[in-house]
Amino acid sequence: MLKKYKPFLRAGAMDTMTFRFNIMIWAVITVFQVACLVFLWLAVYRSSAGGMTSEIHGFTFREMIAYVVLTTVFNYVTFNNDTLWFMNMDIRKGTIGNYLIKPISYRGKFAATSFGSLLTMTALFGLPFYTAALVTLRCLGFLPNLSFPAFFAHLGLFLLAGLCASLLNDVIAYIFGVLCFYTTSTWGLNSLKETLISFLSGTLLPLAFFPAGLRDVLSWMPFAGMSQNPVLILMMKYDLAQSLRCVALSAAWIVALELLAKLLFARAIRKVTVQGG
Amino acid sequence: MIEVNELTKVFRKPIRGEGLSGMAKTLLSRKYEEIRAVDGISFAVPDGEIVGYIGANGAGKSTTIKMMCGILTPTSGSVLVDGLEPYRKRRQVAQNIGVVFGQKTQLWWDIPLVESFKVLKEIYQISENDYAERMGFLGEVLDITRFLSQPVRTLSLGERMRADLAASMLHNPRILFLDEPTIGLDVLVKEKIRLAIHELNKTYGTTVVLTTHDMTDIEDLCSRIILLEKGSILYDGPLKSLKNRFGNLKTLTLTVPAETQAETAPVLSPDVAVSEDDGRLVLRFDADKVPLEQVIQYAFRDLRALDMKIAEISIGDVVKTILEQQEAEHAEKV
Amino acid sequence: MRYVHLYFTCIKRSIISRLEYKKDTIVALFSFFFSNFCSLAAIYFILQAIPALAGYSLYEVGFFYGFSMLPIALDHLFSDELWLVAYRRVQEGDMDMHFLRPVPVLFQVFAETFQPEGFGELILGAALIAVCASNLTVTVSFASIFVLCIGAIFGAVIITSLKVAMAALAFIFKRSGPLLQVIYNFSSYAKYPLAIYPAVIRALLIFVIPFGLFISLPVDTLLHGAHNPWLLSLAIVGCAAVFFALGVWVWTLCERRYESTGS
Repeated sequence: MLKKYKPFLRAGAMDTMTFRFNIMIWAVITVFQVACLVFLWLAVYRSSAGGMTSEIHGFTFREMIAYVVLTTVFNYVTFNNDTLWFMNMDIRKGTIGNYLIKPISYRGKFAATSFGSLLTMTALFGLPFYTAALVTLRCLGFLPNLSFPAFFAHLGLFLLAGLCASLLNDVIAYIFGVLCFYTTSTWGLNSLKETLISFLSGTLLPLAFFPAGLRDVLSWMPFAGMSQNPVLILMMKYDLAQSLRCVALSAAWIVALELLAKLLFARAIRKVTVQGG
Repeated sequence: MIEVNELTKVFRKPIRGEGLSGMAKTLLSRKYEEIRAVDGISFAVPDGEIVGYIGANGAGKSTTIKMMCGILTPTSGSVLVDGLEPYRKRRQVAQNIGVVFGQKTQLWWDIPLVESFKVLKEIYQISENDYAERMGFLGEVLDITRFLSQPVRTLSLGERMRADLAASMLHNPRILFLDEPTIGLDVLVKEKIRLAIHELNKTYGTTVVLTTHDMTDIEDLCSRIILLEKGSILYDGPLKSLKNRFGNLKTLTLTVPAETQAETAPVLSPDVAVSEDDGRLVLRFDADKVPLEQVIQYAFRDLRALDMKIAEISIGDVVKTILEQQEAEHAEKV
Repeated sequence: MRYVHLYFTCIKRSIISRLEYKKDTIVALFSFFFSNFCSLAAIYFILQAIPALAGYSLYEVGFFYGFSMLPIALDHLFSDELWLVAYRRVQEGDMDMHFLRPVPVLFQVFAETFQPEGFGELILGAALIAVCASNLTVTVSFASIFVLCIGAIFGAVIITSLKVAMAALAFIFKRSGPLLQVIYNFSSYAKYPLAIYPAVIRALLIFVIPFGLFISLPVDTLLHGAHNPWLLSLAIVGCAAVFFALGVWVWTLCERRYESTGS
């Protein structure tokens, strides 16, 4: 039954490979960006009351650096996704109609494409970079919690959490894509989506820094599962029970958001107005 | 005056491997294949001529047009538009040419058509008087006045194409390049566009180079055609002599009673080919060899025709025949 | 003079286009305010955990952030089309029409879009500056205001020039959006005082990608009288001249490589 989505999975995989050039640029420049963030945190810890050795909201300086490096790699591998742009194009050009008469689900097409993209990104890019980052950080003592053989259980859960994060990202992109029926400000929508995710997922700043009330709400939202939680699972900052709970929460949110997406899409498609003529 | 000399354009296209493993290989090393889109063509277009540029898809028509208007640089050879190389002296040449790509609009999508024209007026530095005069002329021949205040995105394809044509003619260019100006339009709109091109050519002596798949465009407009195939010129000359190459070919289609059949029909001459098509008889012959009168007599007397239709061979048939011959020769060589 | 007139004609056109999509402008503005709200919240949360950042108080850091928005906003007003060029238009062969007109291509790109959303940024930046300044004790002098103005205006010239050079690379690589994005992102590092960075990064942010030169140094001058405002102004203007020349040079060089798509 899933076989008919295979071409889209391949398309997603191939698109990702053609961006060889972009990946190289990304690698070079990211070093700069991460370095700059490292200095920001260095200044923060230096300025803190306890100095460099202090722990701020449960993070030592070294853990914070590990966190920054790993979320950067994680986001690049997981969020390689053009769903919003493609949906916008289909809606603007009216080609969305072509998909509605094909015997595949429009939503399934995008899920398959982004899954294909996740697979190639993980194999081509994630594998070497995760390995390099983990080995380096571990050797430098930036990952004090990492211990074998328990790590392999965490690694398994991390991969699962990564898959969940990718699916969550795709379904959220899809929901924003549905909004393209109502506005042509795709740039605005996209930036809204990215800001929302980067702020609420802990990419910009670990959620531990947020005020208590907001933190509690966010711990039940899907966003933490998109960046912070998978990385903390990998760093073994979460124990197995906590990690399992995170993955389960993400899975539940995927189901809920897929349903929401279906609902919104059905509503939007009823008032399709094709531009031009 | 356009002079094209030994013009060649080679595109490099990366060769992609098949499937995912091939894709992975291209990641590591990239091989290119060379495609000679235009292969050493030469011709000249004097002022005031309307030239039809025809050929199958991928024959190199658009590539040549794009080199002539300066947005593609030749691999070798040269183009001179009024003595200037368009890909080097882009801005000077741009002032003197107008371009329409049938598939793509150059107008601003969201604003009333007349606002687009006002911007173009400034871009091409058209004086108030010239602008008023041109708008009068174009409004009439292209019939665009009615929808001047509508945003371009609300125009129908035919209206948009007329608007695009008007936009390209606004600054009174000495040369007009039209890449498939009638693509996807209905017969009436095509008619209107042909008329406008004709008027423009007559009134201002504008040189027109147009590509098209529509043979009626060619027959109505072009005194000269250039037939392109696989990047080379197959034929360059007046339309009439291309037809004459095939003699004075005519086709007679006859409605005949049921008992008359192609196989049993009496033979007039070996030069008259008789065939059946959908219950009708079709006679093909060269009127220079067998007089038309004789064939008509034969049709009524010997074949007992009830009705008949005489047709000259169409330019479309000629082009088709040439391309088929070319392909057959090619197949023989291989 | 001709080009000034032409520019205003084109801009008028752009604004008429924009008025067709009022709803979108609201979405874009909302997304912009939300994004800045998030960044400010992040800074606020960090500063809640520590007494001061490298000696700078919350309001001082806020002042840096607010001021950094001014040159970015000015650039945003005039050169938004460069993003489209870098990401899509060259790749899709959609630049043909600019090459068919008797006006410089770079001019046409600038004249294609005027982005009124930039005003939102200007206002937000100014408001943030006002709020933070009212909570600080600064001695305001003509010289320090002057250097801030120079920093904002000529900083915009530097940002635009960088964008021009990066977008121009699309003529060679077909798509230079990610590269442009990455260079542009450096602006976010100039939102913090330069003091938090080690000497190498400080030098990088002053001499190579000079966001620090026109954002951090003028603010330091106002808050702490760190530099001579007149010399600093001169340096910023000189730097802007160099970047402007470089940007136009790279663009002209790359533009020649533009090829329409075949067929």
